[in-house]
Amino acid sequence: MAPRHAAVSPLLALGLLALAGVVLPLVTRDSYYLDVATTIVMSLLLTMSLRMQISTGQLNMAHISFMGIGAYTSALLAMRAGLSFWLTLWVGALVAAAFAVPIGAIALRLTGPYYFLITFAFSEVARLIFNNFFVDLLGGPSGLVEIPPPGPLLGVAFTGKLELYCLMLALFLFGAAILVRLEYSRFGLAGGAIRQGELLSATLGVDVLRYKLTAFVLGSAMAGIAGGFFAHSHRVLHSSDFGLEPMVRLVIFTVIGGVGSIWGPVIGTVLMTVASELMRELRHYETLVFGLVLILTMLFLPDGLVSVPSRLVRALARTRARRGVIGVDVAT
Amino acid sequence: MSLSLLVQALLNGFGLAMAYVLVALGLTLIFSILEIINFAHGEFYMVGAFVAYLAFGVWGLPYVVALLAAIVCVAAAGVVAERLVFRHLCGKTLNAFIVSLGLLWVMQAAAQLVFGVQDKSVPSAFSGIVRFSGVVISVERLAVTLAAAALIVALYAFLEHTRTGRAMRATAQDADAAALLGVNIEAVSAFGFGVGCGLAGASGALLAPIFSVSPSMGELPVVKAFIIIIIGGMGSLPGAVLGGLLLGALEGVGTLFFSSAAVNLLGFLMVIAVLLLRPRGLLGGT
Repeated sequence: MAPRHAAVSPLLALGLLALAGVVLPLVTRDSYYLDVATTIVMSLLLTMSLRMQISTGQLNMAHISFMGIGAYTSALLAMRAGLSFWLTLWVGALVAAAFAVPIGAIALRLTGPYYFLITFAFSEVARLIFNNFFVDLLGGPSGLVEIPPPGPLLGVAFTGKLELYCLMLALFLFGAAILVRLEYSRFGLAGGAIRQGELLSATLGVDVLRYKLTAFVLGSAMAGIAGGFFAHSHRVLHSSDFGLEPMVRLVIFTVIGGVGSIWGPVIGTVLMTVASELMRELRHYETLVFGLVLILTMLFLPDGLVSVPSRLVRALARTRARRGVIGVDVAT
Repeated sequence: MSLSLLVQALLNGFGLAMAYVLVALGLTLIFSILEIINFAHGEFYMVGAFVAYLAFGVWGLPYVVALLAAIVCVAAAGVVAERLVFRHLCGKTLNAFIVSLGLLWVMQAAAQLVFGVQDKSVPSAFSGIVRFSGVVISVERLAVTLAAAALIVALYAFLEHTRTGRAMRATAQDADAAALLGVNIEAVSAFGFGVGCGLAGASGALLAPIFSVSPSMGELPVVKAFIIIIIGGMGSLPGAVLGGLLLGALEGVGTLFFSSAAVNLLGFLMVIAVLLLRPRGLLGGT
């Protein structure tokens, strides 16, 4: 079993993450850096919630669609019904969760390859609906434009990059706190047990389907929150924002960091987003490099970058044992 | 609605469906032997189309030579992919699936770097139309359908009547038992992956003159192929043919009544329904 109680306490790690988020705007107010940082924090909410779902061994290819449902719901309620962003954001998350209940209940009856494929089918259905149906409402292939930005709250106007960054940081920390709390509880233990032996954990009394459905619905609500923020900060929505390519991007961010630890997606998302920004000039090379990195990671480091320290420690212990510094073989 | 209109719609649907069946057969063959879902399968189709574009469109070789070259080159690429990558992920369905997503990006980006993003057109190898009591078919589409059907028959004969074919079927049924009985399952896996990719390459070469050739052209057929093999039953070769005919009929007749987006939606709803009611597909094992 992978060490659940890592060297760093989860609260401390979350605190450090929050500190890093708060310190950033004190270091730079450059609008480009703030943009990148906002994207990272938004992606983190998506990848950390996706990781909670993958940690049971099942990849939900429709995660990005729930972001889309949150985004479209929030944008439409603000545009057509004139509701405030501060309400529509949460309605969007609730609607995403409401869709997730029946879809999850259907899809989670399947396992392995059938699960990837049925969630992919759902994501294509969602994308087709965004793109081709209810064109008067959803905007069709040209998407939704001129989505209003978040209105003022407590005297703060959310028009600048800094305010948007702080808003997304707060939303992310709210989501991350829930995920961390769950990870180090009975719920997280059940998830780890399902990953390591689904049948065995079922025989030991873990309600596997209930766990998976909870993770599916909760993760979808978080994706919905990210979607609501995306809609009102980008102010333009397009069906391709929720297609296969951005979904693969989320998968890359998540698995390169490693799905065995809750902090894996943080490492993967920060690293790959920064890499992506550095490679912005090399358009086609970017996907080439990303694809290669993904393949090499899965082949040589299937537990992701987060597993590097423990691998090094083990390798070191093996070498020492071989040299006879420690009398007993402590390897593996 | 007249009968000839219906027949025409069905023929239109079946024509393309046969080419997609080739893609689907490769996908389902690979799944049956290695238990891998190769999301990058459409990229092998794309490579086949580019080989045909070079051999037939640019260098002016005979079309049949271009088709054979596409099959051989793409099959070789498939063997390389199996040896280098997928062999190490056998039995790890999730990891193999994620790797195939990476391979999809790598192959598309590589094609964009080599050929650019502009669509390429390949001249038609056949011209003219056939009329038959009110139904019109272009010779080109007829040739594609017949060539695809011939390849399907060839695959069937190969699997049923050759030693290697039997070894592949045995490995698909039970790899451990096959290995115990002396089947070299590593070689069979590599060969099976190559054959599966070669079929996709053949399909790409067949459809290259009908559609334009571009690095992203593999996205549509792979989705169609997934729909086909889920309906027919993953791992079942007759299922892939049946699934292809059903999808062809649905798309052909569907376009008479609905928009193309609605027909695509119907395809996915059919997938969801089959996965729910009969996850092993129509002709899959129990």
